[in-house]
Amino acid sequence: MPHLPREIDFFGVLLPGVLPVFLLSVGVHIVLDSALGSLGVYRRSWHPALVRLCLFTCVFSALLIALYR
Amino acid sequence: MNPLPAAPSSPDHSAAGKAWRWLLNETAGWLNSEGERWIFVARAMLASFSALWLAFRLGLDAPYTALATTVILAMPSSGMVLEKAFYRFLGTLVGCAAALALVGLFPQSAPPLFVGLVLWVALCTGGAAMHRNQQSYSFVLAGYTAVMIAVPAIDAPVNVFNLAVTRVTEVGLGIICSAVVHDLVFPRPHARAVMRTVQARYAGFIVFCRAVLAHRITPEQAELHHLRYAADIAALESGRAAAFFEAGHSRWHTRQLHAFNAAFMTALTTFYTLHRLSHRLRQDGASPMPSLLEPMYAHLARALEAELTPARLAQMRTELAADIASARAQLAQKPGVAREQQIGFDTATELLERFAANLADFAGLYHGLTQQRRQQVSDPGAYSPKTPPAIIAASGFRAAVTLLATAGAWYWLAWPYMTNAVLMATIFCALASSSPRPTALIQQVLTGFIAGMPLAFATEFLLVAKADNFYPLVLAALPLFALGAYLASAPRTGGIGIGLGMFSATLLVPANLMRYDVESFLSSELSLTLGVAVAYLMFKVVLPEHTMGHRGHVAAALWREAQHACTASLPRLKRRYDNRVRDLLSQLNAAAGPAPDAVTRAVVRQGLTLLELGHAVIELRQLIAAAHAGEARAALQAVQDHLAGYLHAPSHSGGDAALRAILQAGVAVRAALPDAPPERRARLRTALADLHAIYTSLLDQLSTGELHRAPSAP
Repeated sequence: MPHLPREIDFFGVLLPGVLPVFLLSVGVHIVLDSALGSLGVYRRSWHPALVRLCLFTCVFSALLIALYR
Repeated sequence: MNPLPAAPSSPDHSAAGKAWRWLLNETAGWLNSEGERWIFVARAMLASFSALWLAFRLGLDAPYTALATTVILAMPSSGMVLEKAFYRFLGTLVGCAAALALVGLFPQSAPPLFVGLVLWVALCTGGAAMHRNQQSYSFVLAGYTAVMIAVPAIDAPVNVFNLAVTRVTEVGLGIICSAVVHDLVFPRPHARAVMRTVQARYAGFIVFCRAVLAHRITPEQAELHHLRYAADIAALESGRAAAFFEAGHSRWHTRQLHAFNAAFMTALTTFYTLHRLSHRLRQDGASPMPSLLEPMYAHLARALEAELTPARLAQMRTELAADIASARAQLAQKPGVAREQQIGFDTATELLERFAANLADFAGLYHGLTQQRRQQVSDPGAYSPKTPPAIIAASGFRAAVTLLATAGAWYWLAWPYMTNAVLMATIFCALASSSPRPTALIQQVLTGFIAGMPLAFATEFLLVAKADNFYPLVLAALPLFALGAYLASAPRTGGIGIGLGMFSATLLVPANLMRYDVESFLSSELSLTLGVAVAYLMFKVVLPEHTMGHRGHVAAALWREAQHACTASLPRLKRRYDNRVRDLLSQLNAAAGPAPDAVTRAVVRQGLTLLELGHAVIELRQLIAAAHAGEARAALQAVQDHLAGYLHAPSHSGGDAALRAILQAGVAVRAALPDAPPERRARLRTALADLHAIYTSLLDQLSTGELHRAPSAP
């Protein structure tokens, strides 16, 4: 498995290595979110915002687990 | 907690049951009023201190940025927080990029760097004044973030990249904390508020229509109603934009709400024209028209009393058609009806039919929204706020002057804390530029700053200094921040609360290495307050008349829009014109406050007349575009040209020429009417109604002396 760097050297500033993964999951999440929104899934849930956050956490964690070993 | 659990089911005649019910009622009442504010305070505090804790934990350089971000993002509903958070992040990114570019271009030379900054800030502030929604906040941020990053980097340009990354990280941290907390902990979804607005609007409009149809409202009162509705339309659009960021707000909602707003505007315009016409017809006591039209108004008003289901609406329209037919028959039997009266009657019936159709659209969209029924609606496009260019330019100029003045003072005074003042003046010049009453806003913030001076001092040196850990620190700082958030949650003290919160967030919060230095603390306090005071002075001194919604500018912009209606390309022009005029009226309303004076009302009247005029002109142009060449078309074209000339340079002679052209066109259209096929005949009738609307609004303009408010001829 490839190892992702813990820190990224961004023009001399060290950024955490999870940042690109975070951005990627934000992108995935936006797509998922608009799809679920137009399907009306959120309207059936008790706490739509919580569902949305959990969804994001799942996406982010899944990507992290898949990419970091 | 609960001393009386035993007797809930028995009917409440025991004293205990009564007390229990009283307690429940009181609690519910408290939860709906004061409780909501305290829940907001709790949310804001949770967001602030979790951001602070994380900033400490991650060892960031300036934890106060994260804290200040949460203070600024503390808004009453979750949609508003998410929207503002999004635009804040965007603005911060752009601002940082601009700062990096400027410092990269002029690394060792302060004067060109400052010139570049001044231009950038002027540009951003102008942009902020142009959009008056949360997008304008992005522009504000882009402007002052650049100053914030570039100014400390003047002496050490090597650090600028570090500063920028730190700023983005900390703002991002504050944003994430705010968004999560405000969206999850007892959230107040904005979508619900939007639905409440929609319902209130619908109910209010129906009541208004009934009152007008029963002649209980004079045109003067109706003008105020129209002014409020204009503000309401703007508010619904900004609410929709906020709710867009919440979970479960789909594109379908957006489309539906846009269509709702558009249908409302159309119905409102038709209704205004109808109201004016019926008022005019009633002025003439001898005319038989009121008695002929009265049954139709009464039927319409009665139809509006019940729920407007599609079946009822269809029934209302058939009833109206029957009424019109019978009234027309009556009119034909009456001998000696003047031609003018006949035209008035025709226009009134045309308008009534049009209004019934508009109302049906409006009610259909409303029911679709409330019942969450999906309808196929084409998106009429967003209602987008736009500001008259003179005000945009003035805002940019004012911001540039402010930055130059404070930077100059910094240079000559050589007082290191002056950077605080430079920043604060820039921030508030930009923030207030999109507010209709900038001085009132800055005054409130200044009050908050001044009140914060002793409070922050006491908190810092009596409480925070004793804290040796994060939790005592929270305990020490909490009262001050909670006070700020509590004040911010009420509209009347909102500015004070924000001022207090920002002031304390900038000053109190410890860096990772705490320093307690009375002199530097006092200097910071003074310089921060000085900055806000400078912004206040700038709004008082530099172009004080060029503020949002100033009536002179709104009036001039209204005339420009009307002229635009005569010349701009046709597709979607009607909707755009509607939006623009209502937007200008809503700016006027925001600046005029709850009780507009006579001059403001004159501008409103003028705006509504121009709205009517412009609508008729656009319709006429659509008819011209669809018509075959001929005498009627040529006459209508002449009307359009004369009107364009008149609106470009309003004068009595131009107005009279336009009136003559309208009369000629009326004759030409009437001449074409008898031997036209039925489909063309309908179009010709519409043209006649439009000509009549233009004629009467022009007469109003020429006779009431509205002209002298129009922009003078170039």
